[in-house]
Amino acid sequence: MNHDDDTPGPGDEPTDDALIEEVAGAWRPRDPRQLRFHPYWHDLSEEARVEAYDRARENRALEAALDPDGLSSTARAVLARIVGG
Amino acid sequence: MAEPDLDVHLPAIASGDAQAFAAWMASAEPALRVSLRRFARQVDVEAVLQETLLRAWQIAPRLTPDGRANALLRVSHRIAANLAISETRRRGRRPEAPPVEEPEVSPSPPDPLLRRVIARCREKLPAKPAEALDARLGAAGGIDDASLAATLGLKKNTFLQSFGRARKLLKACLEKSGVRLEEVLA
Repeated sequence: MNHDDDTPGPGDEPTDDALIEEVAGAWRPRDPRQLRFHPYWHDLSEEARVEAYDRARENRALEAALDPDGLSSTARAVLARIVGG
Repeated sequence: MAEPDLDVHLPAIASGDAQAFAAWMASAEPALRVSLRRFARQVDVEAVLQETLLRAWQIAPRLTPDGRANALLRVSHRIAANLAISETRRRGRRPEAPPVEEPEVSPSPPDPLLRRVIARCREKLPAKPAEALDARLGAAGGIDDASLAATLGLKKNTFLQSFGRARKLLKACLEKSGVRLEEVLA
């Protein structure tokens, strides 16, 4: 699998790197009854999960630095749930 | 320098002030994320962290300070570790890391130099990476990547590649300006 290939494959199947990038984002399914993992987290190897963690940590630092209130997407997502109920 | 005490926000948080909680999260979130790294192979740290922050908001009105700094952060650290262990067990696995009796966690306020430099770096991004970065920032964790990509008329892979490129370009630009992200996060 060529991770540097900019052209999506048939059906836009995610590459390993794309899966890591997606899991490194702050979006998570919302379920008031239980804690929900990102659906693609389960498809990652243990090494890829650590890579997603490290990438997320960088993403959140960059997001917070770009935010006028110093909030990352994680903090914004939580705030939206608090305010939105 | 004395460690900042995030409990200055606690009275307002306890009275239901979401903006005070946002100010607390700005410094508490990085420290809590670091404390969860040891669970990264076993649980989705982002999901555990968001749940921890929600629970911190919920328990704050009932929290009795113990006379030491950062009571809410220390309690949140325990919540995070217990959630991670509980989720690991729920998935039929044995936690690799034992629970922490006395958490060692310090707040991490936003780095002022990083904040000053990054705005200039963002302006230098090429159109596609800038578009992907702006989409993620605008969504603030509330919209999944497939929907964001569709909004931009992109395949999800292309969108994610553009976002990854934005991060790499921002890091390279920061480094040229003397800001190494690895050192900021260390």
